[in-house]
Amino acid sequence: MSENILTIEKPRLEAINLTKRYRDGVLALDNISFSVQPGEIFVMLGGNGAGKTTTINLFLNFIEPTEGEARIDGIITHKDPLAAKERVSFVSENVMLYGDFTAVQNLDYFSRIGGQSEYTKDDYRDALLRVNLAEEAHHKKLRGFSKGMRQKCGIAIAILKGAPAILLDEPTSGLDPKAGHDFIHLLKSLQKEGKSILMSTHDIFRAKAIADTIAIMNNGRIIMLKKSSELAGCNLEELYMQYMTGHDGQRLAG
Amino acid sequence: MLITLIEKELKAILQSPKFVATFAVCSLLMLLSVFIGIKEFQAQQKQYDVAVSLSEQGIQESTSWRGMSYKAYRKPDPMQIFVSGLTNDIGRWSHISQESSVKLRNSVYSDDPIFSVFRFIDFAFIVQVVLSLFAILFTYDAICGERENGTLKLLFSNAIKRSHYIIAKCVGSWLGLVVPIMIPILLSVLMVIAFGISLEGSDWLKLFGLMSMSIFLFTFFIVLGVFISSLTRRSNISFLFALVIWVTFVLIIPRAGVMAAGQILPVPRVAEIEGQRDAFAKDKWAIFNEKSMARWDSYNQNTSEDSDSSCGSNFVFDENELWEHMQKEDSARKIVEREIEAYETRLQEDLQQRKSGQERLAFSLSRFSPSSAYQLAAMTLAGTDINLKSRNIEVMNNYRTQFNNYVDNKISETNDLSGVFMIEISSDDGVKMNNKRDEQTIDASDMPKYIPAKSSMRQSIDALIIDGGLLGLFIILAFAGAFLRMQKYDVR
Amino acid sequence: MLKVIVEKEIREILGSVKFVITFGACAVLILLSFYIGAANHKANVEQYNAAKAENTRQMEGLTSWMSLEQHRIFLPPQPLAALVTGSSNDVGRTIDVHRRSELAAVDSKFNEDPIYAVFRFLDLTFIFQIVLSLFAIMLGYDAICGEKERGTLRLSFANPVPRATYILGKLLGSFITLVTALLIAILLSCLILPLLGVSLTGDEWIRLAAIIGTGLLYFGVFLTLSVFVSSRTHRTSSAFLALLVIWVVSVLIVPRSATLLAGRAVDVPSIDELAAQKTSFSRQLWTEYRDAMGSFSAPKDIDPHDMMTHFNKFMDSLSTEREAKMKVFSDRLNEDRFNRQVVQQKFAFNVARVSPAASMNLAAANLAGTSIGLKNRFHETAMEYRKVFGDFIREKTGMNLGGGMIYVEINDDGEKPDPIDPSELPVYTYSPKPLMASFSAAFVDIGILALFNLIFFVGAFVSFIRYDVR
Ligand SMILES: Nc1ncnc2c1ncn2[C@@H]1O[C@H](COP(=O)(O)OP(=O)(O)OP(=O)(O)O)[C@@H](O)[C@H]1O
Ligand SMILES: [Mg+2]
Repeated sequence: MSENILTIEKPRLEAINLTKRYRDGVLALDNISFSVQPGEIFVMLGGNGAGKTTTINLFLNFIEPTEGEARIDGIITHKDPLAAKERVSFVSENVMLYGDFTAVQNLDYFSRIGGQSEYTKDDYRDALLRVNLAEEAHHKKLRGFSKGMRQKCGIAIAILKGAPAILLDEPTSGLDPKAGHDFIHLLKSLQKEGKSILMSTHDIFRAKAIADTIAIMNNGRIIMLKKSSELAGCNLEELYMQYMTGHDGQRLAG
Repeated sequence: MLITLIEKELKAILQSPKFVATFAVCSLLMLLSVFIGIKEFQAQQKQYDVAVSLSEQGIQESTSWRGMSYKAYRKPDPMQIFVSGLTNDIGRWSHISQESSVKLRNSVYSDDPIFSVFRFIDFAFIVQVVLSLFAILFTYDAICGERENGTLKLLFSNAIKRSHYIIAKCVGSWLGLVVPIMIPILLSVLMVIAFGISLEGSDWLKLFGLMSMSIFLFTFFIVLGVFISSLTRRSNISFLFALVIWVTFVLIIPRAGVMAAGQILPVPRVAEIEGQRDAFAKDKWAIFNEKSMARWDSYNQNTSEDSDSSCGSNFVFDENELWEHMQKEDSARKIVEREIEAYETRLQEDLQQRKSGQERLAFSLSRFSPSSAYQLAAMTLAGTDINLKSRNIEVMNNYRTQFNNYVDNKISETNDLSGVFMIEISSDDGVKMNNKRDEQTIDASDMPKYIPAKSSMRQSIDALIIDGGLLGLFIILAFAGAFLRMQKYDVR
Repeated sequence: MLKVIVEKEIREILGSVKFVITFGACAVLILLSFYIGAANHKANVEQYNAAKAENTRQMEGLTSWMSLEQHRIFLPPQPLAALVTGSSNDVGRTIDVHRRSELAAVDSKFNEDPIYAVFRFLDLTFIFQIVLSLFAIMLGYDAICGEKERGTLRLSFANPVPRATYILGKLLGSFITLVTALLIAILLSCLILPLLGVSLTGDEWIRLAAIIGTGLLYFGVFLTLSVFVSSRTHRTSSAFLALLVIWVVSVLIVPRSATLLAGRAVDVPSIDELAAQKTSFSRQLWTEYRDAMGSFSAPKDIDPHDMMTHFNKFMDSLSTEREAKMKVFSDRLNEDRFNRQVVQQKFAFNVARVSPAASMNLAAANLAGTSIGLKNRFHETAMEYRKVFGDFIREKTGMNLGGGMIYVEINDDGEKPDPIDPSELPVYTYSPKPLMASFSAAFVDIGILALFNLIFFVGAFVSFIRYDVR
């Protein structure tokens, strides 16, 4: 059956029985599986410590899975990390860049590192404008940037890399309302370009607004995985609370 | 890709605010040290010239071949501008005379203990202490700092090989730090030229060797910093490690190595050696005295027999015979002297051997630290190493032999009795003192010239090979360490 | 409130990895320095005894004091000198007093065993100077700005905490913890001395205590300095960059440059110049006196035995005269050189005192009796001893010192003459500067260190009151 799916549409991001147990014994991920197709936005919700960042780290091979595997375009990340990473952009939860470099210098450096060396100054300007970073900040050292401004630079870097998959760890934290709004549009346009987006967030409303698929995680497990079409009419926040308390209740009972 | 990474490292270093501050401090200190070195050298050179001419003047003014003595001085070497080494600890001159053996006296530090209170500041010191500290300061957070920053995560979300990254780190930091530091290095060499210090061809080679060694040491500390930064996850911990390691390498191991060698392989003390020699000499002299007494007795008997036979008034004959006897005695005495000298030479050689055994151990132990390898090489290149003393003493000893032979010849040639008090006791005039010292000064123009010791090129080359190789090995080890650690480094 | 902050500070320091590492390294090095000091002292004592024994041995078998060719006195090793070497390795340890001319100390340790001069010595003051200061910097550089970076400072001041109380608590807390920890390490290391058989007199214990106190004061300077710098910067990286530059300059550069500067600024004639002047003067004297020497005559019918005495008397009177002239001349030269040296030293030390490391070194050397004055003191006591020794020789032989003469006494009856008894010799004792004098010499520097402490303390306090805690 899975073969059948593959022939129909090859998933770009794939988690297969991913399990991660940290060295101190914490079971951060407990046998989760999901896939993200090209042009799909996949949103992970879940409480603090649920395992969202761990999942993203596994896709980037920052850590190796205890069991299972993460695949990007069919490439197993911990087998061939370099090939996998060529196909993915990443925005971390709290973007930190080189403080002594200006925004443009940072962009330039990370684009080249990402394999894009033909960008011009204009491209960088456009990218920064696209993420709503005011032009006077483009040539300032990053040291003085606010959290949101850094976040914008991080997103610009991810766009410039032009990879088919984008991993975002709480990208909207720290963005002002307008920037948050614009960011949603940005993601939509990226989606139209056929990018696959895997994103973790605590913002239920934005999640609902853009997600094609929503996963709710708790204690290292995916406790709910639904297409947005399935969630159409219902109140996501209520559902979230239900699942969380329900699950907790179960665990307490068990 | 590698180029991009290297470029970034370069830019990161050159743009960081600490670069300007540290580079300025380093350059200033380097130039200052060379300036001080030049001034000190010029002062010492002047002092040397004056002293030598005074010493020669002393020879010219002397009126007697007997008790003639020359002061041989150590010649200041222009390379000491960069590495003062032991020049200030070791005596500057020695008496060259029949009576006293060669012994270096009056070191700068014992003449003017004020300079010994805080010691010297020279180029090698700056490289060893300041430059190494700053190298570490730039690279101690190379990796863990980027991790803390979060940039490491972003970086490795791209298709970057870890090996490329670590190579770029090392190469980039190296370029970013070494190229700028070449400026003050070249400036200090220019300064030497500008101040009109004349360097010979071999000096230039040595200088080049010294500068290369300095760059080597600097490189080691750069790579060491990267290695340390790959050992930890937090930059303040790696800062701590870096400083502890720096103190150990630069300040503790060199000293501790020597102290340990002193404990493991003690050498006999000067007093013991002197005691052995004196005991030997005393025995020899006792035998000589006994024999001499016997000879005197037999001589007396002979003369008294003679005088008996020829009835008194052959005073002239007597004097001649006395003279002959005295000359025989003199040569017998010389033989004993020579024996004692030979014995002392043997003792000294033995001592020297044990000392060099101790030195070898001490230096091998301290070479566990790259900065002592550097210092040893630097001292050897500058000719201010531990052999400075033995080298000079050897040359002076050789000269002393020449000098003594020359003076001996002169004395016997001129039959010089000047400087000897003759006390004549005659029954007519009572006792009369005759001091035959000549009014005329002696002509010592054909006296052998003293040519001061110079450090050999061979030793310098050996030092370059051994210590340079050692430094290279240290660099490779540190790099290998960083390389291996990076493969497993948790970038989160 | 203060108590809470002090307690938090103590707990934080004691629990930090940083403290464990640096303190461990520090304690090991202090212990090492004491061990090396004790071992070296023992070696020095052996060397001293061997040298003394050799000096006596060479007198053995002599039958007359007249044939004594040399008599050497030695600088006895002081246990504190092994801990605070000061100039003790550069000063000659041996003086031959059996001479009329000027005394010269030879055989300094560094000249005799240059191997120790290659990397210099590892002694307690060195550890204090380098390691204690670094230790202080590492523990203090992030005191304020580190808390700011971590955000804890903001959190603390979201509460009603007076700033003055906070900074006081911080300074007191770290000071108390670190000084106590160091003191324990040092006191434990002190135990090594008696364990290795180095016994100190009560006087020396007091000196040692004062040296340790000076070291702790020096540590305090760098601790308060670090907190001060930390409260003037907002990033830990700039704080320690600044501190390390200050450290390099003040600990390693300023003291050395100060003496070299003084060497350039104040001209002191070289020993060689002096020696040459003296030689030419004495030559001149010789020429003057040669005729006088030739005029010796003795009564006609004199007993040859008495003749020798006459001759000696005559020569003695001449040489005494000559010596007096020579002495006046060389005293003038020496005094001139000495005075210049004193000016030079004052200049150098006053400039160097900008750096607390210099003050610490000077104070410790003064307390240990290994200051630059050691050379002069040895010299002076040697001159005094020579007087006593000269009287002794005159009494025994009727001659002045330095009259090297081969003296063979032949008794007609073939009986061996009695050998001389070296134990009759007056004993040379070296006494270090008295305690009070040492203390008063060290007073200035201790005062300077205390002043530095105060300045940086106040500086830290004032800067923190205005610190931007965001
Ligand atoms: N390096 C680590 N060592 C040990 N345990 C870890 C490590 N990193 C994360 N964990 C644990 O793994 C679990 C999942 O952490 P993770 O960071 O993935 O959560 P998250 O879903 O991203 O939470 P948040 O919403 O707060 O970012 C947590 O229980 C956490 O304590
Ligand atoms: Mg997270």
